[in-house]
Amino acid sequence: MTVPRRGGIAFISCVAALLCFPGRAHAMHIADGILPPAWAGFWFLVAAPFLVLGMRELRIRSGREPRFKALVGLVGAAVFVLSCMPIPVPTAGSCSHPCGTGLAAILIGPGITVVVASAALLLQALFLAHGGLTTLGANLVSMGVVGAYLGSGAFLVARKVRIPWLLAAFLAGVVSDWGTYATTSFELSAALAGDGSMGSLFLPILAAFAPTQVPLGIFEGFLAAGAYRLIRTRRPELMDLPQEEGAV
Amino acid sequence: MTELFSDIFAGRNDVLTRMDARAKVACAISALLAVLFSRNALFPAGVFAACLSGMFLVRIPAKWISFRIAGPAAFALVLVLLFGFTVGVTPMASGSFAGIRLTLMEEGVRRGLLLGARVLGATSVVLLLGAVTPAHRIFHVLLRAGIPAEWVEIAMLVYRYAFVLLEHAAEVSAAQRVRLGYSHPAKSMSSIGTLGGTVILRSIDQAVRTHEAMTARGYTGSIPFGPMASMGRRDRWVAISVPLLFLTAWLLVGRGQG
Repeated sequence: MTVPRRGGIAFISCVAALLCFPGRAHAMHIADGILPPAWAGFWFLVAAPFLVLGMRELRIRSGREPRFKALVGLVGAAVFVLSCMPIPVPTAGSCSHPCGTGLAAILIGPGITVVVASAALLLQALFLAHGGLTTLGANLVSMGVVGAYLGSGAFLVARKVRIPWLLAAFLAGVVSDWGTYATTSFELSAALAGDGSMGSLFLPILAAFAPTQVPLGIFEGFLAAGAYRLIRTRRPELMDLPQEEGAV
Repeated sequence: MTELFSDIFAGRNDVLTRMDARAKVACAISALLAVLFSRNALFPAGVFAACLSGMFLVRIPAKWISFRIAGPAAFALVLVLLFGFTVGVTPMASGSFAGIRLTLMEEGVRRGLLLGARVLGATSVVLLLGAVTPAHRIFHVLLRAGIPAEWVEIAMLVYRYAFVLLEHAAEVSAAQRVRLGYSHPAKSMSSIGTLGGTVILRSIDQAVRTHEAMTARGYTGSIPFGPMASMGRRDRWVAISVPLLFLTAWLLVGRGQG
């Protein structure tokens, strides 16, 4: 089998057709059946150590503070709700949704965000046909691991270089969302490349996602910044949020 | 929004909801594996048809099924087109669209059909499992299967409070819309941030109240699960025979390339 040169253009047209499909486009998670068994297993193996680390952190923190588990469950429910919110994306004429893991990561930490993302992804797969059971590992790596760690990292780096916290939260949301989609594109291109080169698929998939995901990432940045501002100003004591100097 | 959850049908009394959750999970896992390993589009298409029939058998509304299947079906169609236009050397049909010459290749269409059928087959299996099994029974099975109790507990809390928060989110969102909170893009950005923050703030308040209520009822750090009732003879038979049936069907139909 060969991949013709003109394939890239046709590829973008086809995937763009999907994104322009009327109604809710669940482009965020990879559906069951797309990943071959080897790739599905591989992504489970990649996600496993992060999940183990998150569970360890959860045990330690809930041992110190018994209320913590209930809080994690509720933040997980908030991630679930946020990632169920259909948001119109005018450039693609479709709806998509934020992931919420960037915001969760700066509130409860990236390790525990991986745990809540795994629970939210399992529930979405089982009861909303959104994502899948065999692709749980891949979806957890993109949304839970990459989304949470990139979001949290962006927030910490931004605060280190004295970027105002509102902008830092915005960056966490944007970076987390775009990181999630870049990883999803990578996972799809790796699995779908077949005999062809993975690189030849990665950029077209990324380009096909762009009309929806670039504005959505910015949107998620506003969501993270707005939510962080609200929590910081109204209930800072609940989340042990630092009261930094120079806050906007 | 809460009516979108597929387990709203799990409270009914029918042949599938009465079945032991362990038997259903065993059947679903074997079906998923068989679909995933199939190299022939016919097999996953057959699983899809069987699951659809199962859903109709227990009277799940066609509208709900089509709503849930629409996304994966659209994706399956795109996969057929995607591979049809980009992979292969044997032309099937050709035409031009907006000045671009497009040729549908036989090998690509076959690969797209296989992937599309796998997506539909696997999604319908999970959909059927979720529609006939209450969430708490699935969590119980996960716990018995060795998943850490802390994780199961978090998943249960996420599930329980998703409903509460969905209602909060719907209320706040409706109030914002009435007050023209989404009248232009800049205001929409501000409103969505407030909505997200409010949902999280309420979730934190709810967490505090929940913990107090749970402590008052004797909660000491972990939710106790009772023992699972032993599986009935008929369910045990289903848990063994259906996976064997899938294995046989996979060996006969799914293993060979189509």
